[in-house]
Amino acid sequence: MASITVNSLVGLRYSTAVESHSTAVTVPSHHRIKASKSSPTPRVLLAGRDLKVAVVGGGPAGGSAAETLAKGGIETILFERKLDNCKPCGGAIPLCMVPEFQLPLDIIDRRVTKMRMISPSNVAVDIGRILKPHEYVGMVRREVLDSYMRDRAAAAGAAVVNGLFLKMDLPKEKNAPYVLHYTDYNSKTSGAGEKKTMEVDAVIGADGANSRVAKDIGAGDYEYGIAFQERVKIPDSKMKYYENLAEMYFGDDVSPDFYGWVFPKSDHVAVGTGTVTHKADIKKFQTAIRIRAQDKIQGGRTIRVEAHPIPEHPRPRRVLERVALVGDAAGYVTKCSGEGIYFAAKSGRMCAEAIVKGSENGKRMIGESDLRVYLQKWDKTYWPTYKVLDLLQKVFYRSNPGREAFVEMCGDEYVQKMTLESYLYKRVATGNPLDDLKLVVNTIGSLVRANALRKEMDKFIIV
Amino acid sequence: MSMPIFSATSPKLPSLSPPANSHGRTLFTLRTNLSLRFKKNANFHLLVGADGGAATVQEETSASDKANVGSNGSPPPPATEVVADVAEGVKGFEDPRWVGGTWDLPQFAKDGKTDWDAVIDAEVKRRKWMTDNPTSSNNENPIIFDTSIIPWWAWTKRFHLPEAELLNGRAAMIGFFMTYVVDSLTGIGLVDQMNNFFCKLLLFVAVVGVLLIRKNEDIETLKKLLEESTFYDKQWQATWQEEATGSSEKK
Repeated sequence: MASITVNSLVGLRYSTAVESHSTAVTVPSHHRIKASKSSPTPRVLLAGRDLKVAVVGGGPAGGSAAETLAKGGIETILFERKLDNCKPCGGAIPLCMVPEFQLPLDIIDRRVTKMRMISPSNVAVDIGRILKPHEYVGMVRREVLDSYMRDRAAAAGAAVVNGLFLKMDLPKEKNAPYVLHYTDYNSKTSGAGEKKTMEVDAVIGADGANSRVAKDIGAGDYEYGIAFQERVKIPDSKMKYYENLAEMYFGDDVSPDFYGWVFPKSDHVAVGTGTVTHKADIKKFQTAIRIRAQDKIQGGRTIRVEAHPIPEHPRPRRVLERVALVGDAAGYVTKCSGEGIYFAAKSGRMCAEAIVKGSENGKRMIGESDLRVYLQKWDKTYWPTYKVLDLLQKVFYRSNPGREAFVEMCGDEYVQKMTLESYLYKRVATGNPLDDLKLVVNTIGSLVRANALRKEMDKFIIV
Repeated sequence: MSMPIFSATSPKLPSLSPPANSHGRTLFTLRTNLSLRFKKNANFHLLVGADGGAATVQEETSASDKANVGSNGSPPPPATEVVADVAEGVKGFEDPRWVGGTWDLPQFAKDGKTDWDAVIDAEVKRRKWMTDNPTSSNNENPIIFDTSIIPWWAWTKRFHLPEAELLNGRAAMIGFFMTYVVDSLTGIGLVDQMNNFFCKLLLFVAVVGVLLIRKNEDIETLKKLLEESTFYDKQWQATWQEEATGSSEKK
């Protein structure tokens, strides 16, 4: 154990049980304070130090959580294994994320103001005509966004550790610390990094879809899809077409339960597809999307191939004692659009706010009920959004007729207004009930027509 | 066109056969390794991009359904071209009545009125062709056909009426038979049955059954549908089930 440096905190241990570690810890006198307004159970006042919280994972979720914690007066340590990580991602952020997270406009590579939806029979519908001039979908490079948010967290007072989280020892007694084991890459010892441990009061798991924090708390599994994409550098003349346009391709050939896309990035496009149910066929789907987009990417050069799992629904357990999951680690990716960046950042912030409030700016120890406050707020605020998107996916994404109907419906201005407003501002848009009724009737009509055509197709045999 | 992809553990670039230059019909093949295992300190040599981990899959996860992630680093000479071959050399859907990305309605005229059935048939044929031969979507010839240009009565006449006839026939037969059975068992005639609540209930059940259950498989489908509609909700509620059942769980 000589190589492990125990980063102990004076006053961290309250129990009178004899510790087997070598460092001597002075146990200060502490008071059992009466229950504060924010939580029903008595909260211990931390004498002489602030609450210490580790945020594992330095993406949008971790970055925003660390910033909020640090601003709230909590001692924050942010762990990130790869500071220049280029996470495979669509890279689309809604308009509301810019003011809410005060993002500078120069990290947005492109402003997409037009989305082209292409149905299985190549019917092309453009949405975005109704956007006002200041509205757009921002396309960012993840490495740029992530490092910006981390730097801001560091500026607010968080300590950023370039290290890989290995595992975590859960506390045996109430209010005992969590012991995090990690490999520190910054140490001067060797290139492979030095194993270290750290004791903290609480942990926010923001380490993505393959979260180790989630595993350590037994959060359970979720179904996940695979998103696969190739970055293709296309000639300038073709790139001009994608100046502020992104495309979504629908069809059984491209994906049986999701869609394929061509999203513009800084100076190239990302061509990809995803699926949950037929992961083994992902290559076939990728071939298909290339065929479908062929005219527009011909002559291009693939510069990178990447893939990543995408959670389909939240993990069964998102909070345990003083550990909470946020972002992809918790499973906050929407159905239908597969959007995750905004929700990751927002959940990181919400969780951090709950910790700040529950600990009264770092003065008191927190408990599970404080973290459940975050879950409650999250579920209440965003449940309708998730449910509606799930419904859309169930109705429109499961068969070609559904997709044809979907693309047809997207041509309608009212639909465009509703969907874009709810996407850009993350609020369930309220429309006029008469228009809503007309929308329902039109939707049913589209679905019926598409299904009728499909039934005829099955009878039809092309000679 | 072939995309060279190599395994993460080998530091050298394997020499792959150079992509045949793409004039004519090069077949589009992808040589891949599925289920690539990543060692924690694998080095990926990418031509562009400094990232060493293109897929962020940790090494202990199962390899079975990890999509291949690698890069196609290629040595300084030109990297591979993207040339996808249009399926079997067929350019796109062609039909004399398909003009400018939509059906040219005047060509479907019959006796001075548009023959909507023929339009429907033509669209069916086109969709079938597209399913069998996925082709590229093209900016110069965008497809703008919308099925709602075909009036509602054309759809009703062709699709709804035959099925309605079938279902009404079934309902009528079941209704007649049940009335006869109830009459023979209880002696209540047709008119008096209609005044009885229980009989009306049976009638309702019969009608709904005829509407919803058309094939044997429909019963299973309906059950699954019910479960499916609440599944997502249950997944979200999962974290609250624990709180309800007990106090903090110790691992």
